[in-house]
Amino acid sequence: MTWAVRFEEVSKRYRGGGPRHASLREDLTQLGARAVALLRRRETVDQGRIALDKVSFEVEAGESFALIGPNGAGKTTALKLLARISYPTRGSVRFRGRVGALIEVSTGIHPELSGRENIWMYGRIMGMSGREIKRRFFNIVDFAELGSVLDMPTKMYSSGMQLRLGFAIASHIDPDIFVVDEALAVGDAGFQAKCVERMTALVNEGRTLLFVSHNLSAVETICRRGMFLLDGRVEVIGKSDEVLRRYLDWVDTRQLERIGREVQFRPSGLLRIDHVSFHDGTGIEKGVFRTGDDVEIRLAVTAEARIARPFFSIGITDGRPGSLILCSMLVDGKVPDEIEGMSTLACRIRRIPLLPRVYQVWCSVRSNHGYGEIFDGQIVGAFRVAETSLKFNGPGAIAHTTADAPIFTEYEWLW
Amino acid sequence: MNELVIKGNRPPGVLDGLREVWFFREVVWAFAERNVRLKYKQATLGVAWAIIQPLAFLGIFTVIFGRFAELSKGNHSYAAYALSVLVPWIFLQTAVSIGAQMLVLDGTLVKKVYFAREAPILGAVLATGLDFIIGLALVLIMNRYLGGRLAWTVLLAAPLWLLMAILAAGLAMTFGALTVYYRDFRYALPILLQLWMFASPVAYPLTAVPAKWRALYVLANPAAGILDAFRRILVEGVAPDGGLLFTSTIITLITAWVGYLIFKRMEPGFADAI
Repeated sequence: MTWAVRFEEVSKRYRGGGPRHASLREDLTQLGARAVALLRRRETVDQGRIALDKVSFEVEAGESFALIGPNGAGKTTALKLLARISYPTRGSVRFRGRVGALIEVSTGIHPELSGRENIWMYGRIMGMSGREIKRRFFNIVDFAELGSVLDMPTKMYSSGMQLRLGFAIASHIDPDIFVVDEALAVGDAGFQAKCVERMTALVNEGRTLLFVSHNLSAVETICRRGMFLLDGRVEVIGKSDEVLRRYLDWVDTRQLERIGREVQFRPSGLLRIDHVSFHDGTGIEKGVFRTGDDVEIRLAVTAEARIARPFFSIGITDGRPGSLILCSMLVDGKVPDEIEGMSTLACRIRRIPLLPRVYQVWCSVRSNHGYGEIFDGQIVGAFRVAETSLKFNGPGAIAHTTADAPIFTEYEWLW
Repeated sequence: MNELVIKGNRPPGVLDGLREVWFFREVVWAFAERNVRLKYKQATLGVAWAIIQPLAFLGIFTVIFGRFAELSKGNHSYAAYALSVLVPWIFLQTAVSIGAQMLVLDGTLVKKVYFAREAPILGAVLATGLDFIIGLALVLIMNRYLGGRLAWTVLLAAPLWLLMAILAAGLAMTFGALTVYYRDFRYALPILLQLWMFASPVAYPLTAVPAKWRALYVLANPAAGILDAFRRILVEGVAPDGGLLFTSTIITLITAWVGYLIFKRMEPGFADAI
């Protein structure tokens, strides 16, 4: 296969910490400083923040390629280079074919001009020829749902109408290489669906698609390959499911670390929790599990005085309000007669039915008969389910198992 | 399929740039059309301004300079001379000042959509051309009353305008690029243009410049020979001074080329700096 887009060791540096206005005075002083450095044969240091650092990748013609990564990783910078808006500082960007970007251009819509005039003006500025606009004019009008107000100045339009008009124009361009930033293709849900529909149609037609998104489900269903950018560097390039896994792995690892740091064992009256650890079925301490693994949660506690019948409860949540799983002595009735001093309790959960993500564990202890709180429900630890031993083959399997409902249950569709 | 390469640390070439402008000619035209439409939508008097502006200047010039100009006066009235040069001068001045602002005014588009970055500037120069045509009609009508001589030489206004447009485009590009990086030029440019007017044979004829300075004057000011040519073809009805026009053409082309070179050099940072 031949490539359609190629990045060769592309670096991008923004002067003065980011894109901004320059000031003549500052630049002149800098120029002076550089001249002095040059005269004294000193090295001059490149100034500014590096947004992309020697990024190389190749996108084949007809392929759909995703760029994912956290905010500030360089996705938008890469996208601007792809859309030819911005230039690389080093390296080269190569294209084979006409590039077009699907972006929100309602800011470009001119308020004094009518909807019709705007379609003619901005259609051409976006890269459509006069002939193409003529052919698609009514499609654009239909898409924007603006038939009745076409000849009114767009300043009379509602902001939603302006947005639809801008988007309708942008989405009717017809390039070989299509660049889409989900963050820019804003609008109501119906419009976003239209956007995804249009993208899918283009991919099916065999156009090359470059897609930047935080919507992992869309990335997984639309894109065949992708790239995970982190701090301006390529973390991994490959098939989109692999890339997504690595990205989610990174997200969850960081989240687990953060929660681990934030956990504080606040003493609560008589009882203190000293340590919480997670173990697998054989007793080995771990932080990361797989769906269906046995998980043992161990609590090391210290009771300042003798506590009779302390009802321990452990709850597991994925961060949303409420618990997904509750393991409570108040429910199953098994409770130690008394604790005093240091002791360790363990709660063993068999075949944990949780899908990949980070889970938090809270603990509470109630006194004899369940009345009166000895230890209030605090987050005491976190563990991670990283992958599942089960095989899912659906087109949105990774995104949905990691971001949608967390409980795994066996099911089967019949027809 | 032909390949497009964008290399870092290497500004786009001038020839590639011209090719790109040709590829984006419809976009140039779209910008021109938009500017014209906006102008006549936003201003109540619309077309009339293309007439009012030169007439107002003519009034001022006649009152202030009319008397001094007596000395170097030819066979035609000062008013006829002044108007015939004011119209092309106003075109040059307006095209440069509006063209230089276009990248910033259309900043949202520049930051979001790719098109040849020359397009908004060239569009503005073309749009100003409409005012020139209206102004030219005014000159031809007024000539009768101001005592000019109408001849076939009027037709030379078209190639002369083209030369003027090339000069305007080159300067608008340089100042447009500078304005993107340093907004100071927004305030400096009107002053520079005003100074340029007094350094050009607009209020006075070229013959008013002392003979020993004239060669330097024409070499330093690409507009001088062109404005003088306008005066000759519109008022006196004679062909332009060949040598003078040739010199000015060369200087104009060099100025425009250098202006475009500066633009191309600064172009890679536009989207980041706006």
